[in-house]
Amino acid sequence: MGDLAALIVQQSLNGVYLGCLYVMVALGLTLIYGVLNQINFAHADFVTVGAFTAFFAATRLATKVLGVPDTAAYLLSIVAAFGMGALLGLAVNAAVFAPLRERGDELRPLIATIGVSVLLENAQLALFGPIPYQFDSPFARETIRIGRIFFTGQSVLVVGVSALAIGALYAFLRFTFLGKALRAVAQDRETAGLMGINPGLLIGLTIVIASALAGMAGAMLGPVIVLSPFAGASVIVKAFAIVIIGGFGNLQGTIIAGIFVGVIEAFTVQYLGSGLIDLVVFVLLLAMLVVRPTGLIAERKEENV
Amino acid sequence: MKFKMGWTAPLALAGAMTLAMSSFAQERVVRIGVAMPISGPGSYFGVMDKEGMELALEQLKGGVNGTKLEVHYEDSACSPLQATNAVKRMLDQFKPHIVIGEECSDASLAIAPILNEAKVVQLNVGSVTMKLTESGYKYTFRIFPNAEQQSLPLAKVAYGVLKARTAVVLHEKTNAGNDNAEGFKKPFEAMGGKVLATIDFGRDVNDFTAIATRIASLGKVDVLPTFALEGQQVRLSQALAQAKVVKGGGGNAVQMGSIWLPYGFDQKAGQAADGYVRIVQFDPTEKRKIVQDFVKAFQAKYGADKTPTHINAHAYDSILLIAEAVRRGAKDSESIRDQFSKFKDVEVTTGRITFDPKGQTSDLSVVHFVETQKDLSWKGMSWQ
Repeated sequence: MGDLAALIVQQSLNGVYLGCLYVMVALGLTLIYGVLNQINFAHADFVTVGAFTAFFAATRLATKVLGVPDTAAYLLSIVAAFGMGALLGLAVNAAVFAPLRERGDELRPLIATIGVSVLLENAQLALFGPIPYQFDSPFARETIRIGRIFFTGQSVLVVGVSALAIGALYAFLRFTFLGKALRAVAQDRETAGLMGINPGLLIGLTIVIASALAGMAGAMLGPVIVLSPFAGASVIVKAFAIVIIGGFGNLQGTIIAGIFVGVIEAFTVQYLGSGLIDLVVFVLLLAMLVVRPTGLIAERKEENV
Repeated sequence: MKFKMGWTAPLALAGAMTLAMSSFAQERVVRIGVAMPISGPGSYFGVMDKEGMELALEQLKGGVNGTKLEVHYEDSACSPLQATNAVKRMLDQFKPHIVIGEECSDASLAIAPILNEAKVVQLNVGSVTMKLTESGYKYTFRIFPNAEQQSLPLAKVAYGVLKARTAVVLHEKTNAGNDNAEGFKKPFEAMGGKVLATIDFGRDVNDFTAIATRIASLGKVDVLPTFALEGQQVRLSQALAQAKVVKGGGGNAVQMGSIWLPYGFDQKAGQAADGYVRIVQFDPTEKRKIVQDFVKAFQAKYGADKTPTHINAHAYDSILLIAEAVRRGAKDSESIRDQFSKFKDVEVTTGRITFDPKGQTSDLSVVHFVETQKDLSWKGMSWQ
């Protein structure tokens, strides 16, 4: 393989890996938007909670208490973060979002997500302190080399887990009764209610699934980001951009946009400079809003989520 | 009626006078405002600063020569806007004689004109931007080496000792990062070296694989001077090792770092840090008594497993320097400024302080190079 070809393949792989990380974060955002037409500003903090859960599960609980080897400990920590995200989503929905929704006001739940975000951020600051934690995944230490191309075990794991999460979510929405009911609620909440579906329950389920995905994204991101109570903030703006580029609430659009943004970033670093990443991504976002306001995949309610 | 004056009366009088004098003494206060990041991504600076300052105040028992050192902390969040508001609030309500801060260059630059306008001394312990002491501020002093003081030795060692002829400069996109990068590039190129690329990045960049790939595609790179916060440096070093660019990953390039990088980086970066070269100002293994006493006291207070970083040390030193000024008679902003200007080789943990006419620390005799070994320990190098 020539120099240029190897470089293009390498940066494409880097971009796909980065894109998968973004997709993991953006999936929950787009799911909530697709069903509730609501933006969740606390999503970044759910990601951070997931990252901290995975950190403590892998480095304290699994290795030191249960005596599990490093690799198994990290895999278990992903499950723990997924579970913690689900529990947190359940609790926040029951305590904050559901009561506000029942009052029939659309603005209050939106503002409440900002409140939840500030609360979670400061709670984590009080619990874990501001000094960044060093979260190393055993998979990140393994570098796989094929000719001149290299990637880490962590990047393979990220791509694999995101593919698994996307597949599972797709299968759940398409083939299960609950998934179909959830799509019905996304299309028309009132009519779905008349068909015997409990919209409140399914909205709660959406928040739980989205939060669990955020938790899992945190576990995957933990060994990549600088882990502190503000960690999620560093990826959330990009995740919002991806949701918009992909088409609000559209899962397929989010996946394509996530990988697209990742690849664009990698090639921006190579040919334009890393300092221009945000400029390029947000020019792309603005262009998309102007040229194709519906996003990469045009919003069709019945096909969302 | 006769008024009898027994032996108790003079005693009571003496007691009253002592009480009066001591209450007079207690009224003498030097107010120290501290503007540091307590919230946001830079808040670890604030935590470490406070640890250092609290230790110094505890050792001084809160004052010097009967003058109380009263400290008031404000959160400036490494942000120019928040730092400006914090300092204005402090000036209005606390009325400090001196303000320690900020850590981040952008925020330090924002508060400098306000403090100078108010004729309140600014003592900076963590910013590198040249502009801070090059803008003609009469009340600004800094004990942290500036960008030139940090980058010039790096360039000299890169070219002269490591025989580097090509470099890729990596830096965060801030005043501090820009100044450090320029501070390396100019002398390195003037000596005959070639800078193949200057790569900047925001503080929100997490994955450095694409950057490492780009560097690997640039051909032979001898040195990689890097100016970023510790968290990003760890990830960057790991990515460079994975791309086989640096020695820690089996490559040939030497990554070089500045004083910003706290003690403990090597353990966090792991094998990727093998061969990393950097300059340090505070070295916990340094033999000077003041350093070893500080390390012992720090570990006694905060835990035996905790080694102080340069951030702890600079904050500790800031209180020692103010105490020294008070010991020499300073009692307000003007006299603190006068005493600071007269300082000559005042020994603290981060060196011997003599301020130049611009308020910049000028004695860099303790600044030295260290190289990270395979076991991740430091080896002191006698390069200058």
